[in-house]
Amino acid sequence: MAENKRHMGMKAKNRLSNTLIYILLIIISIVWLIPFVFLVCESFRVESTYQVGYVIPHQWGIDNYVNLFTKTDFPVWFKNTFIIGLFVAVIQTIIVLSMSYTLSRLRFKGRKFLMNVMLILGMFPGFLTMIILYKVLSWFNLTGANSVPGLILVYVASSGMGYYVSKGFFDTISKSLDEAARVDGATRFQVFTKIIMPLAKPIVIYTILTAFMAPWGDFMFAKYIAHATSAGMNVAVGLQNMISTPQSLSANYTMFCAGGVIVAIPITILFMSLQKYYVEGVTGGAVKG
Amino acid sequence: MAEVILKDVKKVYDNNVVAVQDFNLHIADKEFIVFVGPSGCGKSTTLRMIAGLEEISSGELYIDGELVNDLQPKDRDISMVFQNYALYPHMTVFENIAFPLRLRKTPNDEVFAKVKEVSEILGITEYLNRKPRALSGGQRQRVAIGRAMVRNPKVFLMDEPLSNLDAKLRNQMRAEIILLRKRIDTTFVYVTHDQTEAMTLGDRIVIMKDGFIQQVGTPDEVFDWPDNLFVAEFIGAPKMNTFNAELVEEGGKYYVTPFGSKIEVTGEKGEMLKDKNIGSKPVTLGVRPEHISLAKDNEEGFDVTIQVSEMMGSELHLHTLTDDGTALVVRVQTVSLTAEERAKMKSGEKIRITFSGKVMHFFDQETEKNILR
Repeated sequence: MAENKRHMGMKAKNRLSNTLIYILLIIISIVWLIPFVFLVCESFRVESTYQVGYVIPHQWGIDNYVNLFTKTDFPVWFKNTFIIGLFVAVIQTIIVLSMSYTLSRLRFKGRKFLMNVMLILGMFPGFLTMIILYKVLSWFNLTGANSVPGLILVYVASSGMGYYVSKGFFDTISKSLDEAARVDGATRFQVFTKIIMPLAKPIVIYTILTAFMAPWGDFMFAKYIAHATSAGMNVAVGLQNMISTPQSLSANYTMFCAGGVIVAIPITILFMSLQKYYVEGVTGGAVKG
Repeated sequence: MAEVILKDVKKVYDNNVVAVQDFNLHIADKEFIVFVGPSGCGKSTTLRMIAGLEEISSGELYIDGELVNDLQPKDRDISMVFQNYALYPHMTVFENIAFPLRLRKTPNDEVFAKVKEVSEILGITEYLNRKPRALSGGQRQRVAIGRAMVRNPKVFLMDEPLSNLDAKLRNQMRAEIILLRKRIDTTFVYVTHDQTEAMTLGDRIVIMKDGFIQQVGTPDEVFDWPDNLFVAEFIGAPKMNTFNAELVEEGGKYYVTPFGSKIEVTGEKGEMLKDKNIGSKPVTLGVRPEHISLAKDNEEGFDVTIQVSEMMGSELHLHTLTDDGTALVVRVQTVSLTAEERAKMKSGEKIRITFSGKVMHFFDQETEKNILR
């Protein structure tokens, strides 16, 4: 009987703590979601274009979206950002994965030193070099209207330093697989493409996603390099430019919100479709699979 | 289908650890050679040098007459079975076995035929569509062997292939490897730390310690004529008893005097002592546990006290201590004991034991070398 009672007590305790955890989680998600709900509501508000003291629009409409595409350079910014994101995703993924594989599998002089140097360098904020980078890019005429290739260069340049996560993942793949494949007749490159890449799918997806998302949301570098040339701006800079003065803020605020919603769409789609792998990629290396 | 020659092969790692040195060995075509030794003796390193997975620091390695020191593993025409199987987890069993053929761009119908043939030999036909993770340890090892044999390599390397299996499966697979060897009929190099595997599988055994070859020989040779104390103790289970004793020459005959007894050295060994004119000297005496017997009443022998008695079924392993505290292991066949005698084989009991003059091994106390070799 006593045993039974204790058992029941545990069940009740479990239920109580679960309930508390869920309540806490719900509160956190509401807090987290509020800005997004506000943003979406504002973007559909058509009775006024300036900031107001309420959330739910009195009049709903898609004028802001239409205006964004017809009356501003938003399509150009969007295209710029997309091109940058695409190129960076492809180039950076190739560089990061090759780098990580090399550091994980090959042993060469200065390997440890190189890894340490890159790790320490990576700890300095990137914008420390901003002025120099601007200078260099301007020599090659890659600023202003030509900022798209310039930005791709900047984002891709230091990507080898982001080897850490994927190297950790590669380290968990047994080296005897490499060796077995080499004895079976594979070259190092074939080992990489036929054995390691298929096994590292989660980390490949993770790398592509992070490589695409970083330039997609970047403001600082993009702003600096694009200057005030609309043709060279990405979405973040373009949208900010739209509300940079008090007058333009009043005139464009709701349109700005519409821009914010549209920017979130590709990322959301990408993330949702790859989410399964993404989660695996972040945690997959933790335990032996 | 090739001979393998290692000439003065040496391996030094980057941290200046010498893993293998003075390694000279001529492995004949179609020979089954086993490298055996305790962990860290360099046996795996040597195998990996043959495979091309480790660089050879100095010396020469020939496979089928060709110097292969600087050849990539893929160009050496060898295949290898790994201790942890090393199957490709994302491929089915079929694709795992077919992988070496695919890399060589073998036509599809040939791939099918070969994989079918190999999987039938190994009895894994029904698992061909499974992924490795859905297989048991024994099945995985079969797949690994299948992948290695599918393309008829010149040399077949095996790195402790049975170490990850449980004892029963290990015995079964060991027997299968012997059968397999008859079918494949190529040069085998097999690494193990298990002397039973070495004894049962090898045409010749290479016993290694601390990077040096200790002895190369057939299982009979290394068992009956160990070159040194290390080999003597390593081969055979339970291991050989070794203890200090006097070798005494008296009137053209040789005696040993272990623990107060006096046993004449007879047979081949007695003759050899005479021929070599060894003379009286202290030696390290080696006697295998199975060569020690219970002394009959009129026989020369000495008393020991049983510490632990292990019942192994067909035999008893008695861990005993002599009066001066030397540990000796004695193997007694249970069928040879009367019920009365058997009841006496208990911890704390005293028994009188002896050994024949034919089965002793004599080692120099300083060099630990067999003085008759």
